[in-house]
Amino acid sequence: MSMKDFNFRLLEFWSDFRREKAGLIGLGILLFSVLVVLLEPVFLPYKDVNGNWRNISYWEDNSDSAPPAWTNIFTTKKSATTRQFDKPAVTEEEDASYGPVKMYSFPYKYGYDLPPLDLIIRARASGMALMLLELERPDGLIVNLGEMYRDGLEDDDIRFAIDTESKANVFDFAREYASAEAISTSDAQNIKPSYILFSKTGTDMLSARDALKGEYFLHIKVPAFLLEDENNTLDDVRLVVTGRVSGILGTDTSKRDIYSGVVAGLKWALFIGIITSVISVLIGVLYGIISAYFGGFVDTAMSFVFEVFVSIPVLPVLIVMSAIFKPSIWIIIASLIVFSWVGPVKTVRSMALQIKEETYIEAANALGATKWRIIFKHMAPLLLPYSFANMALSVPGTIVFEASLSLLGLGDPTIITWGQILHDAQVSGATLNGLWWWIVPPGLLIALMGATFAFLGFAMDKILHPKLRTR
Amino acid sequence: MSINENDVILQVQDLKKHFMPHQGLLQSLGTKTKKVIKAVDGISFGIRRGEIFGLIGESGSGKTTTGKLVMKLIEPTSGKIVFNGEDVTITDRGRTKAYRRQVQMIFQDPYASMNPRFKIRDVLGEPLIIHKIEGDRLRHEEMIIKSLTEVKLNPPSDFMGRYPHMLSGGQRQRVATARTLILNPMMLVADEPVSMIDLSTRAEILHMMKDVQRDLGLTYLYITHDLSTARYFTDRIAVMYLGRIVEMGRADDVIDNPIHPYTRALIDAVPEPETGMVDIIKELPISGEIPSPANIPPGCRFHTRCPYAKPVCSEQTEPELSDVGNGHFHACRRWKEL
Repeated sequence: MSMKDFNFRLLEFWSDFRREKAGLIGLGILLFSVLVVLLEPVFLPYKDVNGNWRNISYWEDNSDSAPPAWTNIFTTKKSATTRQFDKPAVTEEEDASYGPVKMYSFPYKYGYDLPPLDLIIRARASGMALMLLELERPDGLIVNLGEMYRDGLEDDDIRFAIDTESKANVFDFAREYASAEAISTSDAQNIKPSYILFSKTGTDMLSARDALKGEYFLHIKVPAFLLEDENNTLDDVRLVVTGRVSGILGTDTSKRDIYSGVVAGLKWALFIGIITSVISVLIGVLYGIISAYFGGFVDTAMSFVFEVFVSIPVLPVLIVMSAIFKPSIWIIIASLIVFSWVGPVKTVRSMALQIKEETYIEAANALGATKWRIIFKHMAPLLLPYSFANMALSVPGTIVFEASLSLLGLGDPTIITWGQILHDAQVSGATLNGLWWWIVPPGLLIALMGATFAFLGFAMDKILHPKLRTR
Repeated sequence: MSINENDVILQVQDLKKHFMPHQGLLQSLGTKTKKVIKAVDGISFGIRRGEIFGLIGESGSGKTTTGKLVMKLIEPTSGKIVFNGEDVTITDRGRTKAYRRQVQMIFQDPYASMNPRFKIRDVLGEPLIIHKIEGDRLRHEEMIIKSLTEVKLNPPSDFMGRYPHMLSGGQRQRVATARTLILNPMMLVADEPVSMIDLSTRAEILHMMKDVQRDLGLTYLYITHDLSTARYFTDRIAVMYLGRIVEMGRADDVIDNPIHPYTRALIDAVPEPETGMVDIIKELPISGEIPSPANIPPGCRFHTRCPYAKPVCSEQTEPELSDVGNGHFHACRRWKEL
């Protein structure tokens, strides 16, 4: 078939396809998914989620079990959301105790009712790092959050969490305003710094927690002499506000951003689904044609093998196989193929039996064509449309199977799949703890991917098999 | 036309094809013996080089099966096929392929004998690819054009890019003929090549086939149920009934002076569009359907339908072909009395 013919056929197919609404919806979702996979970094708030999904320290700045940020819309008391700031305003200042300093300032507009859980300062530094941390409040008060001092750094990440490291300083700040009675019943270890920092001052500030809304500034003062020494560098100064609600889809109990996991899982769902169904349908179609064409003993033997495979319960066998082999994505794909090639065999065999009796097959035979020429040149092309439809229709099954395996904890630990996210949710009792944002999105997406390919498959089936059009 | 009477290109000897009906497991355990379907039940004939040999009979007479046996599309149960001095009854793959280069087939249904997904170019190019005919694409193209010209599809370039469904029945049958000619075969088996073509085009196609035959010195095995085209087209005729040849001889002889009652009946059945005859439906001397080849009547297998049958016909053994002179054979023991 020349290129021109192919284009013509494609156009013809497209003009039919355009009329299938479900097919168009499927195609739309599929194209969007492919776009998301290709532009994955754009969609990922956590760029390094691939490879760090099971790295606990990668997620430590997040709050755990945080609902999605948009849940604020439905609550009366708004919670601070998790935010990251990485572009501080840098100025030269004079400090009373430090002398000339380089000051990194992060403005933070606070307009919530419930304060964030923590403020985390991060930077990358070499040599010696010394910084004075201050929070400038909307009421003009400046709270000293303490000093961060690290030495012997070699381009290392440094981290300062106010929630643990500024307790004493914040308690000192509260001591100035709170009633003596309140101070005496409390101590520096059992206060929550962020609650005090984002509340109005007053005698009952330790218990009242009246939100002080307005613009805050976090100042990081670094002595100027320190940076004059070339051995000392300080880059990449960042502020993370650990909110009570986080991101598009919240976080799980391990502080992981579920949205990032779901986006990163999309490519694996597509990969596993498409690779497995393409290979298994090709095998199945060829198997059916060969079985039908050769007939007789070959047909009987091949049908027997088919019956054996079709009657094996797949999931238990896959569980055993995953248990024997080290769970890897390739093992999973291979074992899925081993059991899903049987899908198209029966139909293809019956179609091929019909094609086999066509006069042009006999004519090709009379011309001296070999069996393989007849199979590949005359029979297979006629079954190609069916194969394409079948491929699309078998994708949902494979996605669900992978998800089932992962849900049972038999997935590949080096990748992120929706099934694995669901597995973690199940193990952590997400349903019991009401972490619906951990369960619903991956579950819905598995269903949506399945529906996408099912829509595509039905539409193709209808177009390529006009006899089915009445359906 | 000068034909060497003894230069036989295809000799068929006592060829038989018996089909075993499918039986289930339980049936095969039963005591009942299988009913064997005797589609071709011992036929012998020879086709001379450059001759058009017609095989005539009604549906179920085994003529198509004979064609397929000659084409080696099916294996004979017994008998012998000798082509060009070589016994080709049982051949290995290589020899079968070589044989198929020399013997080609035109099928009855021009609508079904070409893959609907192949263009005419691909249909005609296929034999060249199968038999690994030397030459590049251009050389193949030339050969395709040449064979399209031979079957008078002009201009060939108009047809090469088309699909079979874009052609008329007659054009398709020309393409089918061109496909067989492209390999320069020695013999063509034409299985009712014009039966599915409009009457108006039939003569044209037959003309074309005859021209090709004359030009290229081909031999035809022409299988048909149509006596009128057979007479026009063939040199010699064999009439088949229920897997046996009942009469064989020169076309004119057989049709003008039929001996066997079955041949007579066939000839009488040909309608004639003559004045005064149009309203008359002929009364045929024979009636009923051809018996099942699984249950062949004893004795002369035609006696159940023969208007002249006597008890002797069913009691005695089957009559063999016998010559009345000038190569006119028949298989009727009572022919002198008729």
